[in-house]
Amino acid sequence: MSAAKQRHLRAVDAGRGLQLHRFETPGGLPVTVAQRGRIPLVAVRLVLSSGAAADPGGKEGLADFTMRLLRRGTTHRDAHALDEAIEFVGASLGLFAGEDQVALALTTPAESLASMLGVMAELVRAPSFPEDEVRTERERSLGQFANDVDDPSLLADRALLRTAWAGHPYGHDVTGTRASVGGFGRGDAAGFHAAHFGPRPARLFVVGAVDPAGVAAQVEEAFGAWAGGPERGFEVLPPVGIGRAGRVVVVDRPEQTQSQVRIAGPAYRRGAPVQFAAQVVNVTLGAGFTSRLVREVRVKRGLSYGVGSAFDTLRAGGLFSVSSFTKVETTGKLLSVMRQEVDRMRKGGPTRSELEKAQRYLAGLFPLRTETNESLAAVLADMALYGLGDDWLDRYRDRVRAVTRAEAAEAAARYCFPDPPLTVVVGPAERLRSQLEKFGPVDVLSADDVL
Amino acid sequence: MSLRRKSPDLFPVHEARLPSGLRVRMVPDHDAPVVSLYTFFQVGSRNERPGITGISHLFEHMMFNGAEKYGPKEFDEVLESNGGRSNAYTTHDTTVYYEDFAADALDTVLDLESDRMRALTIDDRSLRSEREVVKEERRLRVDNEPAGLMDEALQALVYQAHAYRWPVIGWMGDIEAIRREDCEAYFRTFYAPNNAVLWVAGDFEPDSLLRRIRKAYGDIPRGPAVPEVVNAEPPQRGERRAQLRHPSRAPSVLVAYRGPAVADPDTLTLDVLQFILGVGEGSRLQRSLVYERRLAVNVGVDWSWRRDPGIFAFHLELQPDADVPAAEEALYAVIHRVAEQGVEPREVEKARNNLRAHLLREFTSNSGRAHALGTYELFLGSWKHGFGLPEAYGRIDAKAIQAAARRWLDPTQRSVVTLIPEDGKR
Repeated sequence: MSAAKQRHLRAVDAGRGLQLHRFETPGGLPVTVAQRGRIPLVAVRLVLSSGAAADPGGKEGLADFTMRLLRRGTTHRDAHALDEAIEFVGASLGLFAGEDQVALALTTPAESLASMLGVMAELVRAPSFPEDEVRTERERSLGQFANDVDDPSLLADRALLRTAWAGHPYGHDVTGTRASVGGFGRGDAAGFHAAHFGPRPARLFVVGAVDPAGVAAQVEEAFGAWAGGPERGFEVLPPVGIGRAGRVVVVDRPEQTQSQVRIAGPAYRRGAPVQFAAQVVNVTLGAGFTSRLVREVRVKRGLSYGVGSAFDTLRAGGLFSVSSFTKVETTGKLLSVMRQEVDRMRKGGPTRSELEKAQRYLAGLFPLRTETNESLAAVLADMALYGLGDDWLDRYRDRVRAVTRAEAAEAAARYCFPDPPLTVVVGPAERLRSQLEKFGPVDVLSADDVL
Repeated sequence: MSLRRKSPDLFPVHEARLPSGLRVRMVPDHDAPVVSLYTFFQVGSRNERPGITGISHLFEHMMFNGAEKYGPKEFDEVLESNGGRSNAYTTHDTTVYYEDFAADALDTVLDLESDRMRALTIDDRSLRSEREVVKEERRLRVDNEPAGLMDEALQALVYQAHAYRWPVIGWMGDIEAIRREDCEAYFRTFYAPNNAVLWVAGDFEPDSLLRRIRKAYGDIPRGPAVPEVVNAEPPQRGERRAQLRHPSRAPSVLVAYRGPAVADPDTLTLDVLQFILGVGEGSRLQRSLVYERRLAVNVGVDWSWRRDPGIFAFHLELQPDADVPAAEEALYAVIHRVAEQGVEPREVEKARNNLRAHLLREFTSNSGRAHALGTYELFLGSWKHGFGLPEAYGRIDAKAIQAAARRWLDPTQRSVVTLIPEDGKR
């Protein structure tokens, strides 16, 4: 029995009392176990270097579709039996596709860890993609698109992504489009699984009040025989600039009384050294309740309930975006204030006191990012997938505190739209046009164009 | 392994009561240098009256607009500068404020929180600006969101007399009409220490913290007794229906049954029934409506505890071409089967396992511990009942669940809102 074999558990000190125990299964699956806490709930995360960016042309949404089908049947059990196995013990399992990773995220009562590891291994090793489940999932996905039309915020995010990264593998929503999903069959999902799933591009993380050696034996029992599959994860080339820069894309929703607004420009890839200075800029401009944007948009003018900025960074590139919403009549005014604040940040960066405040904010709240077992497992997975380094958790706060004003100003100059940004607005095009023309040539799309 | 036996090891709770009536609960944990602080006020839209609906929620916004020591918007400015973040929410029954922050900011946070409980200032300029912000929030969550529109229509259908009739965010006209004097009276009545519970969880020593809390809050005087809310809701004498026409692509159905108040023993039985019917991919409704009949894209069941009789609701997000009456009938068939034939013992055990895991999940962060126990205290009368929930659920058997389904999911006590797609380009 494989569990009886000698395992080489290697301990890595991740700082602040966190020990990571590592080993590799005979098939080549790298495993990390972190022992902590007292609550008898264990988080398990299996990530694969794959994702929506690996969707074949014309098959947008396939990674996500494949992930959702994993628990709809294996060569051993049907969907109902799998649901029962997972849900009876009080475990929960999420299956996700991102642009450049797919993940199975499980939380289970500690006493059921061994059996749940077995279920997880079964899902990734032996999904059967039954025809009728493929059909149900396809219809459900198409039905979901129809329901998504009613969410203006979601439409804005979808329009932003596909416009900004048009022509690049990141340039479609992970759920795909109605046209692509409508054509999915069993062979597509099975083919994606065969091409992307295997122990070598995967990593497994177990976090909780567990004994690392015991967990190692359970992992080996479940995953020890998993072998084959691709040698490594897929690669994606960096995007070049963004689409429709300097233009305004309006997704027409004639009945809306409120517009959703996004402005975006290119940013850096995940893990780039500039990230700490960039985060300081982001906090000052548009995070929390006291950012420049909140003060100007919400507090001083009552224009919106929410406004914020964010760096969304992936393996090959990133976007910097500013988001908000306001009643239709004040859309132009809101955009002017947003643009004005981003311009002001680009020209001067944060002041000394803003820099110090942002550093205290980021450093003070950092421990919350890994407070639960699930969140620590997710951060450990990101550290591995994006090459952030084992000292990431330990050094994050010092790195944030070390950012200088000059570095922050440089990051602001680079990312706060030095070139004309892309603007996306979801709302009634007819009533919006005159307010938007001063921000660039206006292109009007229908909701169907972004679904 | 029951949670109750494990709970003393999981985390101890220290409690105290100040002479002003302020209840203090402390849950120390030294795993990370962070603290979460919750202030629960026992007030919500339930305590409002027509003409000023939404004042509880608007007032929640005003709590960030300045007090005696810290001026307008200084609350978050000081908090975020010290490595913290804040937020708040309002429900029908409660208003809750919370902060997560670096442990060394604890005294600052106590200073900030006690300042606004002691002497909030409400000026017309802040009120004007905040009113606009709340109107945008309403446009976001209700006016441009079909689920929000449907929920608003449903509450007004179920309740004829009770304050649960209006939305927590308030009617647009009322948000417009609320005056500074209304806010000041509201503060005096409902924001006194005797109507609040303070929960602190995280990296601190309880004895020292209690001394600091006494110092920060000790001089805030007790307020008047909070006026009782009258429940004049008349009995329902048959099914009620409403229809919304909206330029959606897909129809949708919201069905609610009148349920008990949280103090009723059937409340916990309905918790179990909620899981059996609608929580998880293998739940009865998910299997039937989503996977077997393929009528719905998603099915949700909402049984939220309320101080006065609440509602047990089902939300069906349907396929674009779904036959709405057929989807409704499919839902009723699943409910009817539970009422007539009962549930399997294995389903009961599964629901219990999930309720226990749910409880444990709430306890995995400082914020989660403070929030969960604070909520249990407000609704169940004591936080200790929260720890006892797994045992309480353990006493609920299949027979009790069938009886509760029969009693509460009665077709004559049903209210139904349907969303019918219509062309947006009128």
